[in-house]
Amino acid sequence: MNINYLAATMVLALTGAFLPVINRLFRISGIQGALISSIGYIVSLFLVLISGEGRSVLKGFFTTDPVSILVGALVLVSSWMVMLVIYWITEKDKFVNELISALMISTAGALLLISADNFISLIIAMELMTMPTYLMVLFAFDDKSFEAGVKYFFNGALAVGLMLFGISLLYGMTGSFEFSALVKNLFADPLVALAAVFIFAGFGFKITAFPFHFWGPDVYDGTCPGVAALLTGISKSAAFIGLMRVVYEAIPVIAGHFPLILAIIAALTMTVGNLLALAQKRVSRILAYSSVAHAGYTLVAFAALSVPLSATGIIYHSVAYVFMKTAAFLCFAVFLFVWGARTMDDYKGLGKREPLLAALFLIFLLSLAGVPPMAGFISKVFVFTAAVDAGMTWLALVGLLNSAFSVAYYIWIAKQMYLEEPTLERPINDSPNKNWILLPLAVMAILLIIFGVWINPVVDASAVYAAKVGF
Amino acid sequence: MVLLSMILLPVLVAPFAWIGEKVNRDFPKYLSLAVGIFLAFCTAYLIVKYPGNGFAFEEFYRIYPPFDFNLHLAVDGISLVLIAIVAFLAITVTLSSWHVERPGAYFFLILIFLGPMVGVFVSLNLIWFFIFWEFTLVPMFFHIGIWGAENRIYAAMKFFIYTHLASIFLLLGIIILYLSTHTFEFGKLLNIHLDPSVAKLVWILMFIGFAVKMPVVPFHTWLPDAHVQAPSPISVFLAGLLLKMGAYGLLRWEIFLFPQTSKFFAPLMAFIAVLTIFYAGFRALAEDHIKRMVAYSSINHMGFVLLGLSALTAAGISAAVYEMVGHALVISLLFMIAGYVHHKTHTWYISELGGIMKKIPGLMTMFVIGVLAAVGLPGTAGFVGELTVMLAAFDYYGWIMVIVPLASALGAGFFMWMLQRAVFGPLREEFKNLATLKELPLVENIPLAMYIAAFIIVGVVPAIVFNLYNPVINTFAQLFQ
Repeated sequence: MNINYLAATMVLALTGAFLPVINRLFRISGIQGALISSIGYIVSLFLVLISGEGRSVLKGFFTTDPVSILVGALVLVSSWMVMLVIYWITEKDKFVNELISALMISTAGALLLISADNFISLIIAMELMTMPTYLMVLFAFDDKSFEAGVKYFFNGALAVGLMLFGISLLYGMTGSFEFSALVKNLFADPLVALAAVFIFAGFGFKITAFPFHFWGPDVYDGTCPGVAALLTGISKSAAFIGLMRVVYEAIPVIAGHFPLILAIIAALTMTVGNLLALAQKRVSRILAYSSVAHAGYTLVAFAALSVPLSATGIIYHSVAYVFMKTAAFLCFAVFLFVWGARTMDDYKGLGKREPLLAALFLIFLLSLAGVPPMAGFISKVFVFTAAVDAGMTWLALVGLLNSAFSVAYYIWIAKQMYLEEPTLERPINDSPNKNWILLPLAVMAILLIIFGVWINPVVDASAVYAAKVGF
Repeated sequence: MVLLSMILLPVLVAPFAWIGEKVNRDFPKYLSLAVGIFLAFCTAYLIVKYPGNGFAFEEFYRIYPPFDFNLHLAVDGISLVLIAIVAFLAITVTLSSWHVERPGAYFFLILIFLGPMVGVFVSLNLIWFFIFWEFTLVPMFFHIGIWGAENRIYAAMKFFIYTHLASIFLLLGIIILYLSTHTFEFGKLLNIHLDPSVAKLVWILMFIGFAVKMPVVPFHTWLPDAHVQAPSPISVFLAGLLLKMGAYGLLRWEIFLFPQTSKFFAPLMAFIAVLTIFYAGFRALAEDHIKRMVAYSSINHMGFVLLGLSALTAAGISAAVYEMVGHALVISLLFMIAGYVHHKTHTWYISELGGIMKKIPGLMTMFVIGVLAAVGLPGTAGFVGELTVMLAAFDYYGWIMVIVPLASALGAGFFMWMLQRAVFGPLREEFKNLATLKELPLVENIPLAMYIAAFIIVGVVPAIVFNLYNPVINTFAQLFQ
């Protein structure tokens, strides 16, 4: 791992750790807290961006390659924007600094997870990413969030348990945790397949793949939407990259048997996600099930793992997804805070009430739906191109049809916002500095459009990665 | 830079329409008019400087060469004709929307629609063609959904989902084509020999995408809803531009690229075309809703376009492109007037109209001229288009195409019957003292006069259109030998 990248993680985690302490000592206001954390984010982002050069440490545990730099930087940007929105929404809550602290530590875990190339460091990074979120889910302190928290905790514990079991099987066979050692010593064996199933199940919980998706919508709906933005956007994207490293760097021997299983799981995940999303009345649940569907699209790329384009597909979809999903939940959070809008009926006419915010929300929804020129379109193109290239045209067709039907509920939200007459009369929290909060969301929208047209950074990074894992 | 600026400028100035509304309510429409005039000047410049054959004004913006993901723009005669329609309709639609409600958002959407629209016709890179193609849906969705008639929300949702679903097949075709050829560039694709079975698969997938947009039977059901519910100026965009995208895509990206496969599927295309012509003709005959009737006559004309394309000869394709021009001018006029009739009489139904010629002779005279052009009166664009298409079809398919003139007679039938019931005859009692039933203000007459002037000029001197693209089509037609 590059020393700068490690420093970035440290800076972020330590800023997060000291934020509550600073608050106890000096009683900082919301805006001061946001400034302090922003400094942490900026320094960390700078360090991640320069981590192409410099000394290498912790070899065999973490690796720093273009993928971790690219996705790391984007994860940091999204997490920063989540932080700003959470501060704005929960400014008056006295525990907001603790919440931000957990957010930053969890993001540091995500940064480590996307660069882990050893099962020990993978588990540690994943737990570092997950542990703070157990706390965050409970933040709202109401019945729903308790239920969500308990559900989330047990599912998370189960996931780690399954994963550890799989890892121990691999360790028993090879005596090593390192990806580079595993890839040399493993051969196609039923036991390896069993281990892969357990590891995949562990990741399946994290990325809400069918049939491990049940907890997802309940938790995303039950907790406060800022936290849901972290869970469904950032944690999931990091988990995609982590799973990609496991599949391509540690156990590529499964490529013989797994693609069909993965393809079926992918098809089921996106179909179930989209069908259930169509049936929802609450916007947070629509976004949650759409996140399940997007896990399915990414799994399409995993199913195509025999071709180099699949790496591009996974990375591109993670990049696009981290922005669009996080930002969509943040828009929902702002609508919830200002207007108390939860259900589809509440969203009627919000386009007239909040033209700019609704326009931004629309951009994220269209990107999720895969309408050009947003990044969500081009990432889907890569995913489905990979599937066709791997000889799974049927899967690409299923995916594209799913994508077409998913438009129905995204455009339904747009319809409620713009084409219907307003039902909500006055905002429940009218903040004078409302327009400031649009700035982070606008940044994400612009980045989303830039990545939708200028594909070079992502494709170059994934080309380097594909060469590294030996395509 | 001309082509790029034609795509980017409308999109970049669009936010000013939205912001400008707060300063001055009139600003957005003047901005839109200025952009329309800008497009017209650019097109005029391109037409004057066009060397006569082949692609010209090439612009190449490198983005990611290994995947051929580059913005490659160029025009040939066919694209020139179509961007001339874009510029023309941009001006007329702006004038027709002079008194629209919420002008800021309305013209914002028009402007972000125009840029990608030009992009569709000038892009020589298939993936960029698709990006422009797909983006045009978004502004249209809001136009129909916000400014449309009673049932607008249903129509907007149906329009978006239906056409997006069709684009998915187009995208899958593009992906398979890319994986078999590793290029998106028109020039490179032209020289690649594709395996026939792959070519057939790609052809069918892409054809579904284009056929829905055109639209042809049985993929047409979104169109009557969308056209009827859309505000009239937006119906003009739908009929004049969106439908042309489908026909243009079919021509550029299927017929030119896969001449042999197209030849294999030509009877299918001809069958669908004839089916469309008759089905839409009979539906129009049975229709009481005046705008829906015009919508079916629009489908009927697109059937002629497909018939011309299916002939796969220089004459047939050239006739089809001419018919596209004629359709854009004539049907636009009819949609506008159908909208005004509803606006003035508060009814959509032919059976509830009657004798309105007596109250609004000016507007109805234009309506009659438009109907005559649609029926194919010599001296108008409709005549030249239908005649050349039929000649080309006879030439290629032989005597079986004798049935097509019958459909033309059918078209004359439903239009004349409509005129007789709705426009002529005794004036109905309830219209005698209707205050809203009066002539249009001048600014709304201008676009109507422009359509009439345009289709008469093009009809009397068809050479000004044919000469632009005939050399191009002749060059490509050698592929079919």
